[in-house]
Amino acid sequence: MPKRIRSKIARGSADLAILSLLAEKPLYGFEIARQICERTGGALKFTLASLYPLLYEMEKRGWVEAHWQANAAGRDRRYYRLTQTGRRQLALSREEWRSFFHALDALAGVSHA
Amino acid sequence: MLDWKKLVRKRLSTQDLPHGTRDDIVAELAIHLDETYEHALSKGLTRGAAIKIALQEVGDWRVLATEIDSARCKEGPMNHRTKSFWLPVLITLLGASVSLEATQFAGLQPQLVWVGNMGVTFYWPWLASLPIFGAAGAYLTRRAAGQTSMRLAACLSPALVMLVAMFLLLPWVLAGFHLFRLMLFGLGLINWVGIPAAALLLGALPFLRGSRLTVEMKQ
Repeated sequence: MPKRIRSKIARGSADLAILSLLAEKPLYGFEIARQICERTGGALKFTLASLYPLLYEMEKRGWVEAHWQANAAGRDRRYYRLTQTGRRQLALSREEWRSFFHALDALAGVSHA
Repeated sequence: MLDWKKLVRKRLSTQDLPHGTRDDIVAELAIHLDETYEHALSKGLTRGAAIKIALQEVGDWRVLATEIDSARCKEGPMNHRTKSFWLPVLITLLGASVSLEATQFAGLQPQLVWVGNMGVTFYWPWLASLPIFGAAGAYLTRRAAGQTSMRLAACLSPALVMLVAMFLLLPWVLAGFHLFRLMLFGLGLINWVGIPAAALLLGALPFLRGSRLTVEMKQ
């Protein structure tokens, strides 16, 4: 099982994690947190307190749009969908992280560690 | 069924959010708490343990409210501390200073009170205006979800500034240990710090207890 990533590193990568998930399909808050935890094997974990301020910030910046939608059981949930601006931001973030990993790898050899 | 919405509405003291936005946030966070709770129950946890896990998602409600505020508000980069402390301090200080200037400009004479063989001047019109500024400082801090200690510091800021100024005179007072200087210093403390502080506090009293949220709920 992957080691849990410390909060400072996790916070820096939070935008990328959320935007990447939303690029696949619209999701609501609890599901975003659950999928991130599941797909990273628990290495990245979002709580309510860490997730929603980020989602609201992204909404303010126009990276995501939110709308209420009822599920099959008739329960309302607020779904987040990636906008065109969000897709551009995601591409930019991916590029930045790729460069960052290359640089870090050259320096610390993290991919061989 | 647990009323998570009621809990979130009560505990989340966000500021300056339009009503619709606040309702959306309350509903969304309540749903998240409910799903966390249900998820914990489905894993076989007891009701009490599930509630505990759901509440751990929040941590500190005040921090969450501040972060949501800064994430949602479309206003400038004024942060929570500026809004809840420095701005009220500035307004209180400015108000008290302008009031003193205006009192002197209007020619309102200070009253001379004799303490023993020393005359002390009291600016009664100015002192009478201080409760207004004390109230303004405490109210603005409370409105921005500032803690009681911050409300107290904001409302007393003019007296605190005077206290610092008085202590700058302390080396002069202590030099040579003149009884006259010590008495003057003591009277100065009462005149420019103690009495103004009491006047400021008087105005601030109604705003030192309770949060903006509880006030809204009472309404």
